[in-house]
Amino acid sequence: MKKETIGVKGGFHLLDTYPLPFCTIIDEISSDGSPGQFQFPVTSQKVEHVIVNLCPTEPWALPNWVILKHKTATFLNMLKEIRTGYFSDAQFHLAINEKEDKAVEDAMNFAGTEDWIHVFPLCAKYPQDDPVILVQVLLGMDVNFGQDIKSLGILIVDAQTVLAMYEQGIMRKDVNSRYVVLSGTGLRENEIIRVELGTSVEKILKNKIKATGACRVFMNGPLRGNEISDLSQKIDWSVNNIVVLEEKNRKTLFPMFKADELAFTTSLLGELRRCVYCNFCDDICPVALEPALYYHSYIRGEKHKARLYHMEKCIECGLCSFICPSKLELLKMIRACKAPDKHA
Amino acid sequence: MKKFLKPLEPLLDKGLNTAESFIHTHPKVNFFFGAVFEAFDGLIRNPKETAQSPPFIRHNYDVKRFMGAVLVALVCGWVLPAIYLYGWQCVVPKLIVSFIAGVFIADFLWVIIAREEHIAEGGFVTCLFIPAILPPQAPLWLIGLGAALAIIFRNILGGIGNNIVNPALFSRLFLTICFPAFLVTGYQMPLIGTQVIHTVPQGLDAVTHATPFTAFKTSGEVASYLSLLLGTTTGSLGETCRLALILAGLWLMKVKVANWRVPASYLGSVFVFSVFFSLILGKAVAPPFFQLLSGGLILGAFFMATDPITTTYNQTAKWIFGAGCGFITVLIRDFTTLPEGVMYAILLMNLLAIPIQSLMVKIRYRL
Ligand code: SF4
Ligand code: SF4
Repeated sequence: MKKETIGVKGGFHLLDTYPLPFCTIIDEISSDGSPGQFQFPVTSQKVEHVIVNLCPTEPWALPNWVILKHKTATFLNMLKEIRTGYFSDAQFHLAINEKEDKAVEDAMNFAGTEDWIHVFPLCAKYPQDDPVILVQVLLGMDVNFGQDIKSLGILIVDAQTVLAMYEQGIMRKDVNSRYVVLSGTGLRENEIIRVELGTSVEKILKNKIKATGACRVFMNGPLRGNEISDLSQKIDWSVNNIVVLEEKNRKTLFPMFKADELAFTTSLLGELRRCVYCNFCDDICPVALEPALYYHSYIRGEKHKARLYHMEKCIECGLCSFICPSKLELLKMIRACKAPDKHA
Repeated sequence: MKKFLKPLEPLLDKGLNTAESFIHTHPKVNFFFGAVFEAFDGLIRNPKETAQSPPFIRHNYDVKRFMGAVLVALVCGWVLPAIYLYGWQCVVPKLIVSFIAGVFIADFLWVIIAREEHIAEGGFVTCLFIPAILPPQAPLWLIGLGAALAIIFRNILGGIGNNIVNPALFSRLFLTICFPAFLVTGYQMPLIGTQVIHTVPQGLDAVTHATPFTAFKTSGEVASYLSLLLGTTTGSLGETCRLALILAGLWLMKVKVANWRVPASYLGSVFVFSVFFSLILGKAVAPPFFQLLSGGLILGAFFMATDPITTTYNQTAKWIFGAGCGFITVLIRDFTTLPEGVMYAILLMNLLAIPIQSLMVKIRYRL
C-alpha cells in the first residue's frame, strides 16, 4: 500500500509544545488486594474493522516504544494471531505516527505481504487519535461524537490493549496490571510505571508529588480527562495516564519572562476578556466549527440557537478553550448548550 | 536585567500584595484607584485565576500579547520610518499627547466614572493610530482631541469586543467633519530637515504640499512608484513609508494576529476594480499600481481593516468584507471629489460587517 499522510485540518502539535522526557526504567507497583482483571473486548456485534492506534498525540499518553520495544514486526505478528483467533474476517487499520520512521517502514513491509492490514502514517497533531477522527480518516465513515462505534462493527484499540489481548487470549496468561504514565509539573519527575489494576491513585503518587505548592491531579490528561479530587480512586484499564499539575493560584510577577515556569500548570495565563473575534478558535478546531458563535449564543441565553451551528459535530477536544486568548470557557459553554434545556 | 531584577522581585510582589489588600479593604480608595491599580498590576503580573473546567491547561497567548504584537508592528511600520522622514520633533510629541489624552485622561476617567474593571491595553493601539492618520503638521490639540474622542467613543459602545466601527477611524471622521481645514493642510514634504521645537504645538501651514492623490486629481500627475513605496512623498504621518508598513503587516499575518484574507482581498479588489475602470475610462482614473501605493490604503488594509473586532468573524465573509472595502475605496477615489476613500470604505464596511456576518452564518448552516 502506498504511503499516505493524512492530517486533520486545525488541531495542535501538543507533542512539540509540551515535550515530556521519560525515564526508560519502569517501576512496578502492586495493589494491596487482589488485582483486577483485564476484560477482553468482546462485542455482540460482529467486528468488521479493527483500528490499532499507534499514534498517541498527547505527550502525557503512553508512548509507543514501551509496548513495541522497537520490534514492530513482533507486534504485528501478535496482531495476526489475534486476528486468526478472534476476528478472522475483520480488516485491520494501523494508524502510526509518521515521525516514527522505523515503525512505519516495518509496518509497510509487513503489510506488503498481508492483505488484511492497512497502514496509515499520520501526523501526530492532537486530536488525530480521537475515535471520531480516526474512523473518518481511516475508514471514510462519518460518526458523531458520543456515538457507539462498537455497534457499527468498529473496534479501536491501542498498543497496550493489543498486548493484553495477545497475552490473555492467545497465551492464556492473566493480565492484571497495566502501564500508566505519570507526568506533570507537580511531580518530582515524569515516569512510566506498571501498576496492578485496582491500585489506588494515592498509593501510586506516594512520595512522587513535589513537596512545595498546591497541585491538582488529572486522569487521562488535562485536555480530555477528568480532575480527581478523591485520591482513593482505583486504577482500571481505562486509565492511560495521570497528570499532576502545579496549581498556580497566586499572581506571578513578570509573566513575559517566565513562560517556562508557567507553562503546563493550571494557570489561565491571562485575564478573562470579551471575545475579540480573533479566529483562533475556528482555525484550531479539528472539525471546522466556529466556537465563538456558541459563545455569543450562550451569553445571550440562546442555547437552542447555538445548537443550530452544527454543534453535534463537536468532538469536545477542548482545543478552542485551550487557545482562546480571551480565556473564554468555550468547552464548558458547548457542553452546557448540548445539555437539553430543563424547562423546554 | 533578569539577574538584576531577581532580588527585587519578592519585595515588589509583597508591595503589590499589600497595596492590593489595602485597596480592597478601603471602599473609597477602591472606588477611585481600584481599576487603575488593577490595570497596572495586570501589566506586570499574571492573574491568579486557574482553569476550573476542562481543558485544564491553556495556551499562553492572551489578549495582551495580541495587542502587544500590534503595537510592535505599528512602531516598526510607521513610528520609526516617520521619525526618520519627519524628525523626532514631529513624531514624539504627537505620540505623547495622544497617549496622555487617550489612555491617561480619557480611559482613566472613564474607568473611574463607569466602574469598568479593566483599562484595556487596546487603548494604546487606538492612540498609536491617531497621529498616523492625521497630517504630519496637524496641531497637537487636534491629536489630543482625536485620541480622547476615539477612546470615549469606543468605551461608550462597550469597550473592546463591542465596538462596531474602528474607533480611530471614527474619530478621524469626526475631526474631518468638524475641522476640515486642518485635515487638508499640513501635508509637509518629508526629509526637509527637522523643525524647530517651538513650532511643534501649532504645526506649520506654510509647508503644505498636495498629497499624491490630490496632485493626481488636479493635474493628472502620477508620483513615482519608488518614492511612494519608500515614503518620500507627502501623506499622513504614518501612511507614507509603505515598504515598512507592508513588512510589518506581513509579520502580523505570520503571527496570526492579522488575518491574511482581509488585506489580500482588499488590495486584490482595489487592483481589480481599478484595472477595470482604467480599461473603460482610460486616463481619467488613477492607474492601478498608483492606487495600490498611494493614500492610506496600505496602512488601512494591513492594520485597520484587519482589526478583528470590526470585521466579520466568519472567514469566508472576510473575503467579502475586504472586497467591499476595495470596491468602495476605488469608487470614492475615482468618482468623487474626495481626495481619499480608505477611511470611508473601512467605516462603511465595518457597519456592513454585521449583516454580512449573519448572512454568511445563515448560508453556511442552512438556517
Ligand atoms: S478564540 Fe476566543 S476570543 Fe478568539 S474568536 Fe474564539 S472565542 Fe473569540
Ligand atoms: S471542543 Fe469542539 S468546537 Fe472546540 S475545538 Fe474541539 S471540536 Fe472544535
